[in-house]
Amino acid sequence: MSDRKPAPQLGGATEAFVHERASATPTTVSTRETKSDAHAPAGPPDSSLRAIEEWFVAAITAPHASDQLDADAARLLTRGPKLDAAGRLAIYRYGYRARLVECLADDYPALQFALGQEAFESLCLEYIERHPSSAPSLNFFGRHMARFLRDEARGEEADPFALRGFAADLASLEWALVEVLHARVAERLSQEALAAIPIERWVEARLPSADAVRVLRFEYPVNAFFQAFKNDLSPSATIVSSNRSATAVYRTDMTLWRMDLTPAMATLLESLFAGRSLGAALETLEDGLTADDAAEAERNVMAWFREWVAAGFFAGVELA
Amino acid sequence: MSNRFELPNLGIGLGLRTVHYTHVIDERPDVAWFEILSENFMQTAGKPLHFLDAVAERYPIVMHGVSLSIGSTDPLDRAYLKELVALRDRTRARIVSDHLCFTGVAHKNTHDLLPVPYTEEALRHVTDRVRAVQDFLGGPLALENPSTYVEHAGAQMKEWEFMARLAEDADCALLLDVNNVFVSAFNHGFDPKKYFDAIPWDRVVQFHVAGHTNCETHIIDSHIGPVTEAVWRLLGDAYARAGGASVLLEWDAEIPSFEETHAEALRAREFLPAKPRGAT
Repeated sequence: MSDRKPAPQLGGATEAFVHERASATPTTVSTRETKSDAHAPAGPPDSSLRAIEEWFVAAITAPHASDQLDADAARLLTRGPKLDAAGRLAIYRYGYRARLVECLADDYPALQFALGQEAFESLCLEYIERHPSSAPSLNFFGRHMARFLRDEARGEEADPFALRGFAADLASLEWALVEVLHARVAERLSQEALAAIPIERWVEARLPSADAVRVLRFEYPVNAFFQAFKNDLSPSATIVSSNRSATAVYRTDMTLWRMDLTPAMATLLESLFAGRSLGAALETLEDGLTADDAAEAERNVMAWFREWVAAGFFAGVELA
Repeated sequence: MSNRFELPNLGIGLGLRTVHYTHVIDERPDVAWFEILSENFMQTAGKPLHFLDAVAERYPIVMHGVSLSIGSTDPLDRAYLKELVALRDRTRARIVSDHLCFTGVAHKNTHDLLPVPYTEEALRHVTDRVRAVQDFLGGPLALENPSTYVEHAGAQMKEWEFMARLAEDADCALLLDVNNVFVSAFNHGFDPKKYFDAIPWDRVVQFHVAGHTNCETHIIDSHIGPVTEAVWRLLGDAYARAGGASVLLEWDAEIPSFEETHAEALRAREFLPAKPRGAT
């Protein structure tokens, strides 16, 4: 394998929302309503505030419209000048889903592009039903997407999620960007502190990860896909073929970065971030890599460390 | 000061939106103040707070929340309130507001502003919670009238009566969204003036205006596009009745350049009385 110098790539897609998370009612998403009386929420048992609130939330979040819901709406809500009660309730049913679909679209723009609008919205509706929000903020609403894609999404007969493994990898990358965006950038290991470690103590040094860095392994080259998406290029069809890769996602002050990693780099960083000493981490290279990759590591490890320290990968240094 | 809480009239402000962050920090536009969506800066320790700190260093900040869920029958979320107070202290926010609504129940958050049934039971419940929140904040909470698309059949009073009684009973401030009054008036068929006649104006500390989307059968509070003439005229009326208060434009979808958004906010000047009641 030839040596690959890390080439940091600028940015994620989450730095400015297309859809502001505010108090407005959305109008832009085309969520489709289907009617089914299966699983329709029961009407409130009494007229207490609690019962009315529980029914209203159940009516809004129920996955399908239904005759039962329409009947309850006609009993519990008033008719407006131009809309009946069911029509008025439908505005909230639409708004609930549309707001959360917009939120997921802001967190997963490349996934939305990869799947296409219709399949992405179907995926989101299923996600919203499976993982409703319980937090005050929407900042972390989308956190389950990669696992959801891998393990939970139904996919139906036509399987809009046929590229499930690729989509899950892409979701992992995009979610790492969100996490790193919200992570603390605290004090970091400096080049001076790195240089000050006595050579004889390197073997015992531990280099814990900074908050704003993630190392990700993929079955598919999703960072290349993401970069093409960001560059407004049409990612080629071949790019979704299986091809293992690894990427570091990190932030330096206000800027998000992505850096492709060789297998040796990824193995070394994972070992260090798992809490192993530098000596133990270097040993894992000998066990887990091809001879070429191990040789690459031996030649370049000092340059890697300089690059990683400059990028703020490490919170500091701990000597036993 | 024209409100009983002695909160300042900050002039005409803008909602701080992500697409404008860089412009605001780099160009330092001449804006009287910014309103932030509180929850966008909660549960984060990262980049959003970097931007916010830079903006708060140069401009007065007002905090506007969407997840207090003051009408919910779930217990008040103390962790949320602690974060709210920390954010207020961090930004030195001049006003802290949220909506008269509930956003969920049984620990499910719909992230929508759902109308509570305007009943005596709900009034007692919300009054107690507003008092508790104000105790926690150590200062007034401003509650905003939501735009609504349904009315509960079991309601015992109209929204304006509920708002007025709540404000008096809980001794809280009001944020009057005149666009929301316009939207709800269309959706429920009432005269906005009737709403205004019930408002205790000495409790109004802030106004909102925004664009909306008329779907013919109903109006959606979309915060898209310029403010309609009808809403601007309502603002002029409300501003005169209140004797002046801080005015804010919300523009949340299809957001244009910063200059265009700010120019739209400054259109308020055309509709505000030259000298509001009580001004010297």
